[in-house]
Amino acid sequence: MSVRDIVAEAAVFPAFEVGLSADNCLKCNVCNTVCPVARVTDLFPGPKYVGPQAQRFRVGTLLSPSTPGSHVVSPDRTVDWCSGCGMCTNACPADVKIAEMNNRARAQMKSGHRPRLRDWLLGQTDFVGRMGVLTAPIANWSLRLRPFRVLIDWFIGIHRRAPLPAFATRTLRSRLAAERRRSGATLALPSSPEPPPERAVVLFHGCAANYYEPEVALAAIEVLERNGLATIVPEQVCCGLPMISNGLYAGARGRARTNLGVLAEYARRGYRIVGTSTSCTHTLKSEYREMLDLDDADARAVSDATWDICELLVELNDEGRLDTRFGSIEETLPYHAPCQLRSHGIGLPAMELFALVPGLSAVDLDHDCCGVAGTYGLKKEKYDIAMAVGAPLFARVQAAAEAGATRAVCDSETCRWQIAAATSTPVVHPVQVLAAAYAAADAADAASNSGLA
Amino acid sequence: MSSADVVVVGAGLAGLTAAIRLAEAGASVDVVARGHAATHWTAGGIDVAAPRGAETPAQGLKRLRSVPGHPYAVVGDDVPAALEWFRPTVAASGLEYIGDLSSPIRHVPTSIGATRPASIVPAAQAGALRPWSPDERLVICGFGGFKDFWADEIAASLSRADVWGSAAGSEGVRPSRVESVTVALPGTQGRHNLSALDIARLFDDPGTRKDAIAALASALNRAGARPGRVGLPAALGLDDHRAVITDVAAALDLDPFEIPLVPPSIPGLRLFGALRSALRAAGGRITVGEPVLSVERSDRRVTAISTSAAARQRTIRANAVVLATGGIAGGGLIGTAAGLVEPVLGLPAEAPPVNAWLSRTPFDPAGHPLELAGIRTDADLRPVFASGETVFENVVAAGSILAGQRYLAERCGDGVAIASGYRAAATLLGGSKASGERPRGKRREAAAGARA
Repeated sequence: MSVRDIVAEAAVFPAFEVGLSADNCLKCNVCNTVCPVARVTDLFPGPKYVGPQAQRFRVGTLLSPSTPGSHVVSPDRTVDWCSGCGMCTNACPADVKIAEMNNRARAQMKSGHRPRLRDWLLGQTDFVGRMGVLTAPIANWSLRLRPFRVLIDWFIGIHRRAPLPAFATRTLRSRLAAERRRSGATLALPSSPEPPPERAVVLFHGCAANYYEPEVALAAIEVLERNGLATIVPEQVCCGLPMISNGLYAGARGRARTNLGVLAEYARRGYRIVGTSTSCTHTLKSEYREMLDLDDADARAVSDATWDICELLVELNDEGRLDTRFGSIEETLPYHAPCQLRSHGIGLPAMELFALVPGLSAVDLDHDCCGVAGTYGLKKEKYDIAMAVGAPLFARVQAAAEAGATRAVCDSETCRWQIAAATSTPVVHPVQVLAAAYAAADAADAASNSGLA
Repeated sequence: MSSADVVVVGAGLAGLTAAIRLAEAGASVDVVARGHAATHWTAGGIDVAAPRGAETPAQGLKRLRSVPGHPYAVVGDDVPAALEWFRPTVAASGLEYIGDLSSPIRHVPTSIGATRPASIVPAAQAGALRPWSPDERLVICGFGGFKDFWADEIAASLSRADVWGSAAGSEGVRPSRVESVTVALPGTQGRHNLSALDIARLFDDPGTRKDAIAALASALNRAGARPGRVGLPAALGLDDHRAVITDVAAALDLDPFEIPLVPPSIPGLRLFGALRSALRAAGGRITVGEPVLSVERSDRRVTAISTSAAARQRTIRANAVVLATGGIAGGGLIGTAAGLVEPVLGLPAEAPPVNAWLSRTPFDPAGHPLELAGIRTDADLRPVFASGETVFENVVAAGSILAGQRYLAERCGDGVAIASGYRAAATLLGGSKASGERPRGKRREAAAGARA
């Protein structure tokens, strides 16, 4: 195969855009200055070295797997220390897709090998979630037992102090289905006849809300309903991001195709797809196309239709459709914008919404990454790095707690768990604060009504 | 969609200066940038003007102001006030600058063993500015395993008189003797790929700082040695730089100063950090990582800026826009086969024809014709067409995107950036120089109106 052939094939293969963006690299090192992992450990040489610099050894990532030469991998395996936070891509002045390049390089490095049990397991969020909810009392009890965590640490490789969330006793889906059944509705059909796209959104709840934090999705449903939007909750599986982060692209493609098969139909009919997890929504928006090369009409339709919950609420406010009669919440709220939110490129919508709540004073803690980056900080060999990355953030949360804050806010679930575990401070999703502000308004109304009566 | 009184495009020295000034005046400001750039690349000093032959920045400034079409012909007046504002603004983050417009332009060493003219520098670099007394030596001190600073080679080069400029023979221009030493910092044995960031963090960490400074002292302090100064890589701490440089100075017999390095520039990162803090303290917002993809306009006003976002664009409504996207190196101007293009607003770029871009003498001391290319503005920094007619009423341009400057030969980039950023803010706050017009309504109310 000649160089000309390689270039010709590379030019039509979707990976081209990410892989060949290395060509824009000026070698200015800006990416290395913002990398939170390189900041705390020598094990990771920095995004420039494993990214655009090493890319010349990875001609294989530009080619489809059937092409001779596609097996060529970089001799440098330190790319596995990348947490995937995406700070490098954001900082790059030359539009090099550094984080994406590194993610693909990791997948290439791991393809053809049987994955480590731990990495495989971290990708099986639906399986683990279902089992955990089924056995919640026992599972939660044993996850709090130190000897059990030590065994998991030894045999599986999940750090004994890693922030593992408690399983809910019932999944979001079964709670919601039961509630809706009472009024004759179903998950996918919240009212009859089916509400039109301007009166309903599709909820992509993700694994976190389904198996661990149903209250987050319930708060979102409440807030959406308050604004005249019913929620359609179709069949769905894990978005696949935990697999993508662990280099298991084949499995992730399966999950992606299942979700696209369901969601694309809604997207085409004009429904918006809304999620409370910034990482799931970012996966639907970008990663199916950029990482998994699923750049077809379905993926594009879903990508265009997907919204982060706070992004959508800000949009509604802009259209004058947001109910802004929030009750007063007298509270100072430390807020962490997760790295995955930054990859959305939508600014800090939660902060814009908090500004609408009387009495609420939200403080952006201004730290790049809490460290956990999805499943990265759970791993035995990476836990200490993740804790060091998040340390300045934890100090700020603790300082806020000492000054009287009773909770912190963050859009992303794994970050919430990481911050809560590291600071012993409860951390909630922004939409829970908004739901509370609506409840405060109702309570104030009720009080003034009863006062009149 | 969010809204702001002003959207500033670009997060370099010019954009941040404008943004902080506007935020300090009470405007709501959103800074958007495609990435980090110029501050992270440059030496961290404030080069105001050092055209050939100028002895002070004030002299250089005076000369450049009389060059037809030079940005200083428009914003030269603002330089003293802008500098006066800049100093306390960054000092609030512990970053002090030494030197002013009347300080002599002196040759200071660089990390490739050459020298460059400088007069206003961060305090940590100021040790290089003082005239050298006849018995004073210079020790160049590198760190083992650090690939961006080769002490022996730098010292060998600085030993030659000709690298100290045309006045090398004059008294006090250069040290009588240049020596070199390389120190192994504790905990770095076996490392051969240390970066400036690694070293800065090693000095930031109070635990390793003590040992590192002890290693420096034991290598550099020699009883009975001649007095002198030591030039160290500009990596003496990032977040806690002020404490580090104080501790280093206290521990050494020689007077230490920092020599700026190839990118990433630690002094530049400190400067960016100090400006970013000032912006946030004044209530401004900054988002780095998303290029501007489109703008909305009505008549001769830009009404909204849209930046790239996952799956869609993020639109910020604005009453005014500051364009500080940089020159050709920063991506503020892009070369195409048809000519030079300003990609954000599609402003008319003043540039020589494409076939004049190829010079037979690329390093001509008189400069390259393309250097002068950029955006032409009126006296209020509003971009204009070649006819002189204003392009947009509510857009001002600042920094190295402005036409008529020779950034390299004149060493005027930082001064132009600060002064034009300062003036850009003044224009939007209603201090028009050309017409003396006052602002329309109160900005706060205008912003509230935009949100409603």
